[in-house]
Amino acid sequence: MVSSVATILGRSISRRATASALVCAVPLAMVSSVSFAQAPPLKIGVILPLSGNFTPAGEDALTGLRIYFDSINNEVAGRKIQLIVEDEQGRPDVALTKARKLVENDKVQILTGFVSSAVALAVNDYAREKKIPMVISADGGANELTTPGPLANPYLVRTSQNGRTPSAAAAEYVFKQGWRKVAALTSDYAGGFDTIGGFAQAFCKLGGTIVQEQYPPLNTNDFGPYVTGIKRDADAVVTFLPGAGGLKFAKQFIELGLKDKMPLMDIFGQIAYEPYLPQLADGGLGILSVLHYTPMIKTPENEAFVKEYVARAKRLPSDNGPDAWVGAKAIAEAAKAVDGKVEDTDKFLAAFRTLKFDSPKGPISFDKFGQVIHSMYIRKVEKVGNDYANVPVQAINNIDQFWPFSLEEFESYKYRYADLKGSMTDCKKVLEKK
Amino acid sequence: MIWVIHTLNGVSFGMLLFLLAAGLSLIYGLMKILNLTHGSYYLVGAYIGSTVIATTGSFVLALIVAPLVVAVLGMVMERFFLRRFHLDELPQTLLTFGFLFIFADLSLWIWGGDPIMLPKPALFSRSIDIGGLGYPTYRLMLIAVGLLVALILWWFQERTRLGAMLRAGVDDAEIARAMGIDVSLLFTLVFAVGAMLAAFGGVLGGPIIGAGPGTDFDVMLLAFVVVIIGGLGSLRGALVGGLLVGLLDNFGKIFFPEFALFTIFVPMAIILSFRPTGLFGRA
Repeated sequence: MVSSVATILGRSISRRATASALVCAVPLAMVSSVSFAQAPPLKIGVILPLSGNFTPAGEDALTGLRIYFDSINNEVAGRKIQLIVEDEQGRPDVALTKARKLVENDKVQILTGFVSSAVALAVNDYAREKKIPMVISADGGANELTTPGPLANPYLVRTSQNGRTPSAAAAEYVFKQGWRKVAALTSDYAGGFDTIGGFAQAFCKLGGTIVQEQYPPLNTNDFGPYVTGIKRDADAVVTFLPGAGGLKFAKQFIELGLKDKMPLMDIFGQIAYEPYLPQLADGGLGILSVLHYTPMIKTPENEAFVKEYVARAKRLPSDNGPDAWVGAKAIAEAAKAVDGKVEDTDKFLAAFRTLKFDSPKGPISFDKFGQVIHSMYIRKVEKVGNDYANVPVQAINNIDQFWPFSLEEFESYKYRYADLKGSMTDCKKVLEKK
Repeated sequence: MIWVIHTLNGVSFGMLLFLLAAGLSLIYGLMKILNLTHGSYYLVGAYIGSTVIATTGSFVLALIVAPLVVAVLGMVMERFFLRRFHLDELPQTLLTFGFLFIFADLSLWIWGGDPIMLPKPALFSRSIDIGGLGYPTYRLMLIAVGLLVALILWWFQERTRLGAMLRAGVDDAEIARAMGIDVSLLFTLVFAVGAMLAAFGGVLGGPIIGAGPGTDFDVMLLAFVVVIIGGLGSLRGALVGGLLVGLLDNFGKIFFPEFALFTIFVPMAIILSFRPTGLFGRA
């Protein structure tokens, strides 16, 4: 026994010795080649939740990001791309610490990632102060980040969806179906108010009304009281319930037999989230959702992306995958446009905002605030072969963040969405002008 | 009629809370260990249950296998780790806190980061009609099972020799030992039963609360609130506390939706200010 332990120890020691000799040799070789032949690497700090509630979204984004950078051999304009990935655990305080570490210790030139709005908001001030380009590419949908106001950040660009546009698209679709009175359920946090506020504004403008608003807390365990409390005379139920909440709600909504009685419109596809579909099984059939992506989009760009994604992750991509792919591609294209001189922040960001290209989620461009202009898909859960999928029912291309309003009209409204919490049912207040 | 449904919602959630809190209370009552791993037993139980259901399709088998596996985990924790720090509260609590993270990471590694909901058994996947509104039979079954478990635990504690030994141990472990009761065996046993109850709750709660990263914390918090309201160490307290929290949470969310985050904690604060040891706790 003792001797065998000794051999194992001896072996591991000798192995470590050779390894360390190698480790010593390699950096020397690398340093010399780097300093003479190549510009310094382009360091990108990736801030994503890789543990905690938002893990699936973080993993999807990371896969999407890697797919693009791997496709260009992690190199752009003569500079090697170096990703430094940090787990923010879904917590704003952790995210800020990690952002500081990335910028101050690792000297990254760009920050990207950001799933939760709270996390994006926490890092926003810091990035603005340090003038570090912040590429939100994994959700982080707070409207204020890309609209004129105190939070607007000239160093921020976003390749993922902001809160209100899918809501506006949902409002239009719901109204077109003849559903005029809806009951709304939204998680009780900033992202929830943005989403349902966007819906209320567009829906009121069209002539519909929200007859009930419910705000379950993010960590609600039992959705029983909320599902039972839904007003039965509503024409449709509209929800935004991110994380496990969507799944818990949908299960009870289906079980109580409500799904067969009233249509369910799930803004942002939080219930019709691909990993949940097998769990909802036949009960989920017919659930409507609005999102800027579905893996079922039939374009060559998307089919190639989905194939690569499935090969890597062994599952279908959520919207975070293509969002991060677009973020990675935009970073690379913008870097190429400025000959790799990413350190010239203003030029780099100006180039970023003028980009135009096709992506798995459709045609991409940006507005002057740095928010992506892309497509919205109305989707319906259907059975495809033996699997369940979000089949696109309708696509609206090139919608910007203020759609269907102009920036002027959008700015003429008196209340911010968060201030409307509790009075979304009052269309007069929702549409009140300044 | 809607109020009948709201009440049933509250009672069934309360029964689930009772299952989650009973073990925590038992363990504290006997060993004075604040077991922060309790939520992990729920989580691991629910995950194992989901694997059993996915491979065999049997909910009943999940209800047997998951609690047994988790009971073994609890026994190992008690025998090989917690025992070293007997009655030394701080190291024990820190140790259980450490286990919480270990179980959380192991679960993330084995079962991934997507939240899951356990499928309901076919027998209880229907809804019955209550005054024109559908009500899931699963929740009714939950109420029945909760009552049954309460009854069994009461019988075990009050009517069996082992239960008498347990009560003796809770009252005064030293005297009990002097009387020839093998307290150390009792400790391991109670730890196993506590873990088992939480895992049982994990499988039963799987179709309602579900499981995913972070559920362990949520459940631990709920169990602590129930136990604090009911009184640490009291099974009756866990039952009454569970029902009270279930009902208050439900009706609180209906009458005061803007305070939904606090519907559990406000009653706790109020009760504590009048009875610092909880409803049935002893000082």
